[in-house]
Amino acid sequence: MRKYWQIAKGRMQENTAYSAWYWAGTVSSVMRLLIIYFFWEAVYANQTTIQNINLETMLTYIVIALLLQGFVGGVGNELAENIKEGQVAIELMRPYDMIFKMFAVDIGEKIMYLIQGTLPMVLIAYFFMDLSFPKSPETILLFIVSALVGIWIGTFFDFLVGVLAFWTVNVWGVRVLKESLITFFSGALVPITLFPDWLRTITEFLPFQAMVYLPVSIYSGLISGTEVYMALGVQLFWLISLYLLVRVIWSQAIKQITIFGG
Amino acid sequence: MRRYTRLYWEFAKSHMKVMMEYRIDFLIGVASVMLEQFASIFFVKVVFDHIEQINGWSFYEILFIYGIAATGRSIHQIFFDNLWTLGWQYIRPGKLDRLLIRPVNPLFHVVADRLHQDGFGQLIIGLIILGTAIPQLDLVWGAAEIAMLVIMINSSGLIFVAINLFFATFSFWMIDSLPIVWAVFNLSDFARYPLTIYHKGIRMFLTWIIPYGFTAFYPAAYFIDKSGYKEFALWTPVAAIACCFLAYAFWNRGLKAFASTGS
Repeated sequence: MRKYWQIAKGRMQENTAYSAWYWAGTVSSVMRLLIIYFFWEAVYANQTTIQNINLETMLTYIVIALLLQGFVGGVGNELAENIKEGQVAIELMRPYDMIFKMFAVDIGEKIMYLIQGTLPMVLIAYFFMDLSFPKSPETILLFIVSALVGIWIGTFFDFLVGVLAFWTVNVWGVRVLKESLITFFSGALVPITLFPDWLRTITEFLPFQAMVYLPVSIYSGLISGTEVYMALGVQLFWLISLYLLVRVIWSQAIKQITIFGG
Repeated sequence: MRRYTRLYWEFAKSHMKVMMEYRIDFLIGVASVMLEQFASIFFVKVVFDHIEQINGWSFYEILFIYGIAATGRSIHQIFFDNLWTLGWQYIRPGKLDRLLIRPVNPLFHVVADRLHQDGFGQLIIGLIILGTAIPQLDLVWGAAEIAMLVIMINSSGLIFVAINLFFATFSFWMIDSLPIVWAVFNLSDFARYPLTIYHKGIRMFLTWIIPYGFTAFYPAAYFIDKSGYKEFALWTPVAAIACCFLAYAFWNRGLKAFASTGS
């Protein structure tokens, strides 16, 4: 356990060095909040609800979704680099499970992001926009659980995309495709309930909605009561399936390396 | 001038050869940019499924604004994309010093060093958006209007170039200003929607300080006269040229400061 924590800590230190990028990122996030705010204000100028969602709930949804989406990525990029440059062979010889090592790196990164990136945004958002809090502490708790599960689903998925580097040379194209898919289907831009029916049906069978839409809907009250537990069930299903998939594909991939004689 | 045209042609020819060599990469690049754009348009579409208009602008009118920005940006992306890399590809590794002793304008050299393939995806999607939006708008298109549209789109592209050039120039003092360039570039997202939806301060900022307003909204407002900006929109080409001069002057200053540090 200790060694994985050291790996996480190392990544945190590395990240603090990139302060110029940090400020640029903060400024850009603030601007995105501004755009979101004014855009939805204008959308709601002539009506009080869209699909039974009022402005306050909508802004809450969009902002929380924006913040959560920042966590949905993972180590796929790094993994792909490792694979392309052959580093992975050395990594495999080291005395740790490489999958857990990568996830430890990822956790370090995300904890730093939570402190540096998300908290300031949360403060700004709650000061300047009328966002609503969940009605009960129970909802907050459920949201936290759901968000963590969603983040892990995203991490596993990202890992799977990274592993593809074993088979395809052009990882970059696959990544862009992945980003677009997630933005599109996770409900990060707009609640999935606003989608046209046919698209909503497709979305319900994909893992992406479990990353952002379900947790944020719990937070903003778009789903409540027993539906919340249903949502958590769906999330757990995806979490477990993707984890198994990660394990299976990873062991296949390692076989591949051995065949290449590394 | 003729010499530079010929030089650019030679540069471009070799880029084309590289692009044709890696055809799959070219296609993936083009497709990914198109998909990215498509996602954000889809977002607007989903919202408009539930409402009639935003601030008096209909879906196709917003699409028109989008289209101008996307097409304008493609000019910038295809021909001037290399400005992004000024810090980490030229100044940090010392490559710029090598360019300085060559008998061509260093800015020209940096710009001509790359023809960006993804920009073609941007261009295609921009034209598709415009092609979708324009027939749905209640406008009369004569030769004058088309000429005006072309001028506006080119101006939009030049403003993208000028703003990037201006902020990339900071690299001369701080080695790599990429974070600044990136943060400023993100401001252009504001320009996707009618500027009238924003607070007055933001509108002023995007008109007079970092003039992204001229990359999409004002040009569109010339054709769709909703908010009384038709006359003001005529300043777009002037703004574009002024920005380019300003950015180029700043670039020259930066270059001088860089060269005089000596090492």
